Amino acid sequence: MKLILLPEPEEPIPSLSVSHNQGLLQWISSVDHKQIGIMYLWLSVIFLVAGGIEILLVRWQLAVPNNHFLNPEVFNQLFTMHGTTMIFFVAMPAIFGFNTYLVPLMIGANDMAYPRLNAFSFWMTFFGGFLLYFSFLAGGAPDAGWFNYAPLNEYNYSSSPGIDYYCSGLLLSGIGTVTASANFVVTILKYRVNSMSLKQMPLFVWMMLINSFLILAAFPSLNAALVMLLLDRQLHAHFFSAAGGGSAILWQHLFWLFGHPEVYIVILPIFGIFSEVFPVYSRKPIFGYAFIIGSGMAIALLAFGVWVHHMFATGLGNTVNNFFAASSMLIGIPTGVKIFNWLATMHGGAIRFKVSMMFAIAFLIEFTIGGLSGISAALVPIDWQLTDTYYVVAHIHYVFIGGTLFGLFSGLFYWFPKISGRMLDEKLGKWFFWLFVIGFNTCFLVQHALGAMGMARRVYSYPDLPGWGILNLISTVGGFIMAIAVGLLVYIIIKALKTGEKALRDPWDANTLEWTTSSPPELKNFDHVIPVNGARPFRDFKRPDDADWKKNGQQWKIN
Amino acid sequence: MKATFDLALISSTQSIFDAASPQAEKIIRLSYGFLVAASGILLLVIILTVYITIRFSSKTNTVEPRQISGNSKLEILMVSFPMVLVVIFYFWSLNTINAINPDRADQKPDIIITGHQWWWEAVYPGEKVITANEIHLPTGEKLLLQLNSADVIHDWWVPSFGAKIDMIPGTDNYLWVTINKPGIYEGTCSEFCGQQHAWMRIMVVAQSPKDYNTWLTAHAVKAGLPLDTLARAGAAIFMGTSCSSCHSVQGTFANGIAGPNLTHFGSRQTMLAGMMDNNPENINNWLTDPQKVKPGAHMPRFIFGKDSVRELTAYLTQLK
Amino acid sequence: MIKLIVGTEAMFFLALIMAFVYFSFSPGFRSHQLLNLDIKATGVFSILLFSSSFTFWRAEINYHQGKIKQLRFWLLFTIVLGGIFLLGQGREYISLLNNNVNLSSSIFGTSFFTLTGFHGLHVFVGLIVIAIITALAFAGDYNKPGSSVIDSVGIYWHFVDIVWLFVFTIVYVVPHL
Ligand code: HEA
Ligand code: HEA
Ligand code: HEC
Ligand code: CUA
Ligand SMILES: [Cu+2]
Repeated sequence: MKLILLPEPEEPIPSLSVSHNQGLLQWISSVDHKQIGIMYLWLSVIFLVAGGIEILLVRWQLAVPNNHFLNPEVFNQLFTMHGTTMIFFVAMPAIFGFNTYLVPLMIGANDMAYPRLNAFSFWMTFFGGFLLYFSFLAGGAPDAGWFNYAPLNEYNYSSSPGIDYYCSGLLLSGIGTVTASANFVVTILKYRVNSMSLKQMPLFVWMMLINSFLILAAFPSLNAALVMLLLDRQLHAHFFSAAGGGSAILWQHLFWLFGHPEVYIVILPIFGIFSEVFPVYSRKPIFGYAFIIGSGMAIALLAFGVWVHHMFATGLGNTVNNFFAASSMLIGIPTGVKIFNWLATMHGGAIRFKVSMMFAIAFLIEFTIGGLSGISAALVPIDWQLTDTYYVVAHIHYVFIGGTLFGLFSGLFYWFPKISGRMLDEKLGKWFFWLFVIGFNTCFLVQHALGAMGMARRVYSYPDLPGWGILNLISTVGGFIMAIAVGLLVYIIIKALKTGEKALRDPWDANTLEWTTSSPPELKNFDHVIPVNGARPFRDFKRPDDADWKKNGQQWKIN
Repeated sequence: MKATFDLALISSTQSIFDAASPQAEKIIRLSYGFLVAASGILLLVIILTVYITIRFSSKTNTVEPRQISGNSKLEILMVSFPMVLVVIFYFWSLNTINAINPDRADQKPDIIITGHQWWWEAVYPGEKVITANEIHLPTGEKLLLQLNSADVIHDWWVPSFGAKIDMIPGTDNYLWVTINKPGIYEGTCSEFCGQQHAWMRIMVVAQSPKDYNTWLTAHAVKAGLPLDTLARAGAAIFMGTSCSSCHSVQGTFANGIAGPNLTHFGSRQTMLAGMMDNNPENINNWLTDPQKVKPGAHMPRFIFGKDSVRELTAYLTQLK
Repeated sequence: MIKLIVGTEAMFFLALIMAFVYFSFSPGFRSHQLLNLDIKATGVFSILLFSSSFTFWRAEINYHQGKIKQLRFWLLFTIVLGGIFLLGQGREYISLLNNNVNLSSSIFGTSFFTLTGFHGLHVFVGLIVIAIITALAFAGDYNKPGSSVIDSVGIYWHFVDIVWLFVFTIVYVVPHL
């Protein structure tokens, strides 16, 4: 079997001269994509616990009507920090962690195109996050919600420095995100092993490629809005204050022009993860490789044409609303294509119920619930009733948790052996799975009803209307079950790192190049890469007689 | 003034399922329609998932099944089936939108409601009535509401009436509503507007046109001089301290606009935008320390003696 | 890489321009533009900035042809043109500030200073970078062709000029139409 040489970055890989035993300093100064990936992942675990504890306090307050556990000031800071943390410092770093770790491995490269820039991106995210949290010590965290509407975010209405920290924290991490994405694009396009054509790239890499373009196009809008807000707050400009001639609606346009693509930014890579997980645990190739890429692109393009669905109640007029309703509903179609493709991937397969796969299967149902409630919110009249209620809170958690978080957990159980060289405990993992799924549905299913029964979101207290008390109590219980589950997860990870069973090179009989390395990979990923003749190079290598490329043409049949 | 309703007898609701206007009925019909379709889709996905996972589960760790990687016909089905549903619901929703939100043309609003942090002000154009928090509307007429904000973005939402709409500083927004029958309808500010967003609740008292007109006439009357001495002392404090610079009481020189109009405060069921019942005890607590009752509210704490608070309370409760 | 960076920068300016256009419909905005902005002088400075794109392009060509002396000359020329443009913008700012038009005076001031300020900042950064490569060129770092640095800087510099083309049209020319 002929092995193939790989393209190296223009400069020699800096980390290769670093020796292994420099402790913490070695991590801080590292430019190795695997170490940076791991640091991203730890960062997101830390913030998951932080964001989770914040919302547990919130749920405690909401457990019963007219509760006095938290005062409104603290409450508002907590849910704002929860939303901001979960999106920018849990979902994003986790996704970037997996990508930074895996993309070079999956395309047969030894590092990212710009290793130093890669480190820079990580540290920007890191400091952005800690700057945001520093606000707790500096006179109050931001308290105007994660989308921080004007003019409530202006100095007259929020004079504590929280919002200034929000701006600077997100600007810093935003710069990191943008540079990381540029880095991914160059890495994916330029540093693939020579024999891997675009049509043979793992879907995970494809989704990240699409996603990187999405990020490059979406984040500047947020950055511009944040800069304008800082100018307003610090230098008394008038962008968003109606009193000075500015416009409160402008903030919403700029924010959602970023914000809507952002929610797809945290789901597309997840679609990539599932597109690796389903085939491996079903022992079948992905169903409709091309359709998954195509629908990913469709989602990315449509993502820029739907932002007004967050603003249906602002009175923009029927024509505008109808246009954005149409585009929002259309986006359900490429997503549906993916759901059915994954179902078809499992169909006829030999399914193995590993924890990773269980999260993937559960995802199909949970995400469909979230997607359908999204479509209902895209129907303008329904949104006129339900926007800014707990119904929307339910929607975002079904897509964020049932989608993003399930995907991250699935990816964690799938790739942990590769990353750490240890196996996660499958038995405890299944406990974690069931606890989390039950807690999750307990917490959020009832919130659909609460919204329809008239409960607005972001309220620190509520009157004892019929049914509200009991449903909120159920929801709180669910939140705490999830907390137990997350605690268990942290235990599972630490246990595996300390005493876990050693992982083989290829524990799941997988298809892609990262599994050809040792577990964990050496500091230099590859010396040679196996030949790539299709989208499943490692399987072709393991089963040369049955290789995909030998039987092209036959595969477009279904039994 | 004769009470035209009794709070205890009329149950108040705040749910989209209790539609009380043609607008809300249209929306709930669409919602039920979508609920059925969505349940169908969800059921399909659940059945497929469960069937496939059970049917194709495997205990062995070695055998590979047939390697199938696609089917164009099936893919087309996957696209066209949701497409049909999307088109149907899109047109249904267009229809509903046009019915709920027709062109305003040059129609003048029947009532102007302004959101403040954290209370509501209602002005009845053409009438001499300004009120706060408890808003009266006539049934059976197609009303045009104008919604404004005095500070940050608020949102007017009474689920039984249908659509909600944001109140945006510097912008006029409008909403049509036809209330089917008399009753008390509750709602809530539905856009996060700061510390007391939770206690910016809406209470609409819908009355038959006859009762409504009675109410309007009664509320156009200015406040007279209080009769008993306690209240009279309260009035003196009210006018003498800064109360009058924030609150209006028509018929006196108290004409502040920073706080709710108190001309007929005593006739309202609740106070502080639905936070609590309007009774002397609550008023007492509020005046003793507003920041303890409603933290963040834009009313400062005054250092009053117990007597002064009692006198003020007496004055306020008789402002019917 | 540089193309991707320029791409996101383009989106950033798009957002700022959108804000400017959005506000330009508010009452009194246009009269502010007509009254306070000196289209003639700025027009001249703009031509200088556009010429600097040409001079940088000459620098790139000469570099690829290995003509190091010419390279140094055109780089210096670019710096001079860009510098004069910045001075021109400074002059405009001073006259506006003297007329009490500033970031917080009105929505016109807010959107004008933000948009042109961010553009100016990009010109300034570009000048620093060009100054560095000029110094390197004089130090002999570019005596051999084959480095992509000059081309990358070129893409950035042309981009900054193109942005100004849009900004100038929207801020200065459109109100006269
Ligand atoms: C991962 C994040 C994520 C994802 C994937 C989505 C997906 C979708 N979202 Fe969601 N959304 C958010 C995160 C996300 N959303 C967040 C965070 C908010 C609130 C922000 C805030 O206010 O704080 C929000 C808010 C939000 C609103 C505004 C609600 C409001 O504030 O009033 C709307 C309205 O249109 C909407 C619509 C949609 C739609 C149509 C999809 C679609 O992409 C869903 C597509 C998926 C499916 C439809 C299911 C699978 C498909 C099938 C099984 C095929 C059959 C389907 C059909 C026939 C339709 N979303
Ligand atoms: C990826 C995104 C994400 C995730 C994962 C979550 C996770 C959770 N969210 Fe989140 N949520 C948002 C994104 C997310 N949320 C957003 C964007 C908003 C809107 C914010 C806004 O309005 O501005 C929101 C708002 C929001 C609200 C509405 C608040 C309001 O409007 O007033 C609620 C209420 O129930 C809620 C609940 C929860 C719960 C119970 C979880 C749980 O799943 C959390 C589970 C995790 C834990 C509980 C971790 C705790 C762990 C431990 C305690 C372990 C012990 C420690 C060790 C072992 C060291 N969320
Ligand atoms: C700085 C302005 C200000 C001053 C001074 C002020 N108030 Fe208020 N008042 C408010 C505001 C604002 C509210 C609404 C608070 C809310 O509901 O969030 C309010 C609410 C009230 C209410 C409840 C009204 C309702 O409809 O629920 C009463 C009663 C009241 N004030 C009485 C007084 C009295 C008596 C004084 C003088 C001792 C006074 N206020 C001084 C601003 C002021
Ligand atoms: Cu007013 Cu929320
Ligand atoms: Cu959206």
